[in-house]
Amino acid sequence: MKEAAGKEKREEMKEEDEENEEETLEELEGFDDFTLASSWERFISEIEAVCRQWLADGPKNLLKKGADCLGSPNNLYKVKSELKYGMKSYCMEYFFEISGSGKVVEWSIDLHNLQLSFGVKEFLLIAPISASGVVLDAPEASKLLSAVAIALSNCGSIWPAFVPVHDPSREAYIGIQNMGTDYTRRFEADRIGSQVPIKLMHLEGLYELFISKFVFSMVDFSASLFKVHFTMKLTYRTPPYDDDDGIQGGESEITESDGNSEVDNHSKTQWDDDCPWSEWYTAEDPIKGFELIAIWSSRIVENSLEMAELENASCHDAEKWLLLPILTPNSNADSKDKMTSFASQLHLLVNALNVSFEAQFMEDFISVEKASSDNLKSTPIPPPTVLDRVLKDLFNEGEKISNYSKSEYQNSRAIKGAPFESLFAQFCLHSLWFGSCNIRAIATLWIEFVREVRWCWEESQPLPSMLTNGSIDLSTCLIHQKLQMLAICIDKKVMVDKDLHKSSGGCEEGLQFKGYPSQVSESSDIDEKCDSSRQEAHHGSKINKSASDLKSKSLLKSTKIESPAQVRRGSAGVVGSMMLLNSYQRMHAPDTQDAPIMTEDMHEERLQAVEAFGNSFSFSAQLEKDVLSSDMSAFKAANPDAVFEDFIRWHSPGDWERDENEDDDKLRVEGYDWPPQGRLSQRMSEGGNSWRQLWNVSPALPASEQKPLLDPNREGEKILHYLETLRPHQLLEQMVCTAFKASADNLSQTSFGDLQQMRTKIEQLYLTMASILKHLQANHLKDKGELIDDLKRLCLVFEHVEQLLILAASLHRKLLSAPRLSKAIFADYYNFYLPRMGTSSVGNADEKEFNVRQPVRSSERQVVANMFPPPTANQSWRKVLSMGNLFNGHEPIYREIIFSLYDNFGEGQYGTSGPRSNHREIETHRMYICGTSNDLQAALSVTSCD
Amino acid sequence: MDNRPEFDYLFKLLLIGDSGVGKSSLLLRFTSDTFEELSPTIGVDFKVKMVTIGGKKLKLAIWDTAGQERFRTLTSSYYRGAQGVIMVYDVTRRETFTNLKDIWAKEVDLYSTNQDCIKMLVGNKVDKESERVVTKKEGIDFARESGCLFLECSAKTRVNVEQCFEELVLKILDTPSLLAEGSSSVKKNIFKQKPPQNDAATSGCC
Repeated sequence: MKEAAGKEKREEMKEEDEENEEETLEELEGFDDFTLASSWERFISEIEAVCRQWLADGPKNLLKKGADCLGSPNNLYKVKSELKYGMKSYCMEYFFEISGSGKVVEWSIDLHNLQLSFGVKEFLLIAPISASGVVLDAPEASKLLSAVAIALSNCGSIWPAFVPVHDPSREAYIGIQNMGTDYTRRFEADRIGSQVPIKLMHLEGLYELFISKFVFSMVDFSASLFKVHFTMKLTYRTPPYDDDDGIQGGESEITESDGNSEVDNHSKTQWDDDCPWSEWYTAEDPIKGFELIAIWSSRIVENSLEMAELENASCHDAEKWLLLPILTPNSNADSKDKMTSFASQLHLLVNALNVSFEAQFMEDFISVEKASSDNLKSTPIPPPTVLDRVLKDLFNEGEKISNYSKSEYQNSRAIKGAPFESLFAQFCLHSLWFGSCNIRAIATLWIEFVREVRWCWEESQPLPSMLTNGSIDLSTCLIHQKLQMLAICIDKKVMVDKDLHKSSGGCEEGLQFKGYPSQVSESSDIDEKCDSSRQEAHHGSKINKSASDLKSKSLLKSTKIESPAQVRRGSAGVVGSMMLLNSYQRMHAPDTQDAPIMTEDMHEERLQAVEAFGNSFSFSAQLEKDVLSSDMSAFKAANPDAVFEDFIRWHSPGDWERDENEDDDKLRVEGYDWPPQGRLSQRMSEGGNSWRQLWNVSPALPASEQKPLLDPNREGEKILHYLETLRPHQLLEQMVCTAFKASADNLSQTSFGDLQQMRTKIEQLYLTMASILKHLQANHLKDKGELIDDLKRLCLVFEHVEQLLILAASLHRKLLSAPRLSKAIFADYYNFYLPRMGTSSVGNADEKEFNVRQPVRSSERQVVANMFPPPTANQSWRKVLSMGNLFNGHEPIYREIIFSLYDNFGEGQYGTSGPRSNHREIETHRMYICGTSNDLQAALSVTSCD
Repeated sequence: MDNRPEFDYLFKLLLIGDSGVGKSSLLLRFTSDTFEELSPTIGVDFKVKMVTIGGKKLKLAIWDTAGQERFRTLTSSYYRGAQGVIMVYDVTRRETFTNLKDIWAKEVDLYSTNQDCIKMLVGNKVDKESERVVTKKEGIDFARESGCLFLECSAKTRVNVEQCFEELVLKILDTPSLLAEGSSSVKKNIFKQKPPQNDAATSGCC
């Protein structure tokens, strides 16, 4: 049934073909009447018609008509046509190149097998259409070939034509090419699949095989001279890393945590031990090894002895070296689910985010009664031992972080997550690898995490991995901001406690005020000040009333007599050479309270409050007013005799105006300008000025005695309340952001040398992440489904970059001493991989393998040679070496040779070597041989004069 | 979220620069078209103005910060989420110009959370032409160097005040990433969007 249908189809196609032919034939001259012709003649003219059509079209038009491209790197295309002869159908294919240089490049990698074997460029291939492929017995093959040959010569084409013969596994062909009027080239190829004669394993024997093809008559050809051109291509493969060396064990720790399947078990030799990601997982080395291709370009061999020498020649003598990395078979498609990576864990986290909308509190996910769905209940949670270990890891007091390192990638900051080393980022990274990163595991970890944080708070222990430098980075996620604030609150709390303990003094203010010169905890500091003020005391005898200027110890006693209001308190030192306006004293800058810190939700609150007041109301922030008032109080305390103008001169110098010309005639007393010249700016001096109002009501109080701008106890409690009642989806949203960022930050620390494309790709990844993750922070999650889809796509993008990066790292470390080479190979791979990256669909994995070979420069040869260490005793007995051409003791996995013999036919005799320039040289014999010690292919082409 | 908002976009703009260069006056001129000697801003001031520019209804939230050094750590937090930053100097006081270069421009880079945030350089008080010490060319050069818009204006005489805000807003409207952020109905699918282009075009106009 099927066959019949097939036949019908074929007939239809044939009809079409015939229609085409008729058109063609009308167009073309040389139309023959074949009404009386035999079926064989009809077959020939059928072939002829197709060939004429193809000839007439030329490569460009054929391309337009939809010729198939055979792979991307080469420019080989083919068109095909089906023909029928008797009961058999044949498929004729025409292979052609576009924009070929006309010359066959020696050992070009993207040659078709037939091109390589026979040294041809474009060609015809005709084969029967049958289930088994190419099966032809010899008579059928030669009949077919002669049909094609006749057809081709009829239309004046010089295309070579090939027909497969024998069993397909032999890859045997015969072929013919009509080369103009005089010559014909015949082709023949065959293969020995096993039991290669020892003679043919060596170059010497192969040479003699070639010679034997044209020296039929001579008995002792070894004595005669033939100028045989010889080129050779050897392919070596780096030895596999010896598996036996690896230590079994060291099983990934995740295994014990949940016993899930997702752990990869290849833990023998961890090539990536010092890569940043190895803290979390072990990646399979994407580069299995390298293939080295050494090419001997054309040289002339005159006897078999030279061949024997060539077999022993060092690989370093080869003209050209090429290097190709052997990559793990494309890890797309089916193996995908098994691969563990940041991308795979992020994917799980996104799933958890999706589920997180179901509950009100994180506790709901682990409590037995409330678990909403059954399948949620059954989701595994890692055992308590693992939980303990993770918490210990998070909260153990390692080295104190003084600052978060800045990512090399500027766009990292654009993602609203926690800084890589920070507590919350580490929590997120742990969550990714905690169990199977399901919502229940996350909930368990989070609840314990918050419990630990509370413990730190209650016990006034500093939060690990958090900075207390007094500022909050609003570009981070809210949880991190809160933890930052909490760390600061704990810090302040500790300081307050300390102050309470030493209530008897010890701080500078106390010391001065109470006049305990003996208490010298900070005396060195004071001494310096004393020195400077002593000088001042000498020449300032006039108005030295103020106690605060009498810093020398001998005078401190008199300080006590002064009324407290007059006493200088909370000074942070003098301000340059500035003097107060109304008293001959130097101006002191006060210690001020730290500006209050706010997390972004606090800012938001303020913004909303302001907006509620609307436009009509001229708004000045209460907080800033408090700060200003605090500054004024502190200034008053530090400069008891200061007036409002003094404060402005210190605090807002721009509002103190001085005329330039006044400078000249001002009174200079021993280097100090006094009295200071100038006046308040107009806006500062106006009647209802709010600054002056504030000044008037601010009491003189040093910062240490003021009500704190930030109440650490209150704020700290608020933060813990926030953490303890955080909505699951709010937590997960921030976790997703931070986990993406931290994962990328981790990966981007990988050293991969100077691979610009990789750097750009990572930068792009950050940008893409930032633009998608941004929607997570928006308060309105309108379209949850779409968002989750976007995030899953982001995981795919991440995966691509992650894989590329692992490859880059592997390449870099393998070619550490040949950076140019690793760069070039990476660039090749990048261009190969890039088109695949864009498509997030995984289904149609392209089977095409990466096969771009990179030339090795002579300076890099030693590096490459080092990748072929001499085999160990263990390895060498496994293999019987039989081919020669060893490289550091390694046999080539493949040896390809081309012999060719040229002659000028003018003289009509083989073996004579006339002056080349005068005659037309023709390649009379060419033989391509490739293979190993147990698989040999040979292809011969012979040109003869008819 | 619930019903259609009364504006298409909400933009947050920030005024920075040394104290006394006229930031508050500029804002007052823009929002209520008046001019008066104002008390120096304490910390931060804030005004909202609804405008229609480029056919879009816009709500501008303009934050006016104090120039005093002491407030600088505080004002740093107001950079957050701003789509536009107006850097103001006084053409009659050179140090206000050099401080923009040395201090304020760096603050923007440090604290701005928006990668594509538009910067605008504004030279105020051009009414005092006789006292001018910073030339327009210097302003243009600095703007080109740091990728800002540039304008000279006078809050006192109204010259160029409207244009100043308008130019800035138009530029924001031209920047997709900022637009998406300020949009009242956020579009989600970035895979269908082109990545934002970062063209730091400089334009000098008066």
